[in-house]
Amino acid sequence: MLLLELFWSFVKIGFTSFGGLSMIPLISSEMISHGWMTASEVSDIVAIAEMTPGPLGLNCATFAGMKAAGILGAFTANMGALSPTYTLCVVAAVFFEHFRDNKRLGQIMTGVRPACVGMVAGVVLDLALVNYVEAGAVHVPSALLGVVDLVLLLKFKLSIPVVLTLSAVAGVIMFGVMGM
Amino acid sequence: MLAKLYIQFLKFGAFTFGGGWSIVAQMKEIYVNREKVITDEELLDITSIGRSLPGTMIGNIAMFFGHRMAGFLGGLACMFGMITVPMIILILITSFYTAFQSNIWVASAMRGVRTAVAPVILSALMGMIKSAFKLPPCYVIAAGMFVLYFFMKVSPVMLVVIGAVLGLAVCEWYERRSHDAAA
Repeated sequence: MLLLELFWSFVKIGFTSFGGLSMIPLISSEMISHGWMTASEVSDIVAIAEMTPGPLGLNCATFAGMKAAGILGAFTANMGALSPTYTLCVVAAVFFEHFRDNKRLGQIMTGVRPACVGMVAGVVLDLALVNYVEAGAVHVPSALLGVVDLVLLLKFKLSIPVVLTLSAVAGVIMFGVMGM
Repeated sequence: MLAKLYIQFLKFGAFTFGGGWSIVAQMKEIYVNREKVITDEELLDITSIGRSLPGTMIGNIAMFFGHRMAGFLGGLACMFGMITVPMIILILITSFYTAFQSNIWVASAMRGVRTAVAPVILSALMGMIKSAFKLPPCYVIAAGMFVLYFFMKVSPVMLVVIGAVLGLAVCEWYERRSHDAAA
């Protein structure tokens, strides 16, 4: 039953996501509403998925599936997330010529892309509230580290895995050694 | 043939970090330049369709390419090849994560990493913005969906569907208007 629920959750996620980050709002709301993950675990999963090979959406599926129901759960979640691939995509491959320049698909994406931008912006705020706020007040060291990370990414153009690794080191020093 | 496709995509899957574009580049190198089984245009078509269909872009591209090479089973071979290595790695990491979550050093490292997640998503969001606003009403859609998601807690599944419907409506409206203007 749990596996079926997990599969269905990721079918929904798969069919309404269009690559990369657009999956995060969906994954976050499905995981938290089912109680399979906490809000800070959603942050962890994004970080872990970005540091390992493979597409973000499937890495999230594996992590969420493992947490909810072990290895079988991981496989089930992956199959759910890939469901558009072995259904819709096969149809598209058969009618390749027809899909080549489909006007409707372009029109749909004209609305879906900005919708994703809006939702992802919401996720950024959601995660900021979880990660920089502690007991109702801004946790200054965490917020400062976040600002430094943003500067490293946007100004110094460091790659995502590098920035995540640096933050891990900073975390060990600031929170582990210095006890901030 | 199936085994060959599976192993090739196993390699692709093992060496991609982040976005799917590095896989497209590797496919170009092997299948367009070296083996010459597809042309540049075909790969471009496969990529653009795989990207615009729902689901994981590289999963779709793998399925598409495999289907062209060896039918449905070929598609499955490529798809499963692509996900094998990332899935095994993630299963190992998740087990490790669950076991060591409460260890003070791991917990502090994860706490540091968490501070970087919002900036990482924000920086990627900047990249999405360029292609997201094709027509002026797109800004309204983005703002509206933000409010519905963040303040009203409407389900993202619903919001994507609303976005799709609005996209069709807005494009149709613009097309009709330019039609009328011409006539």
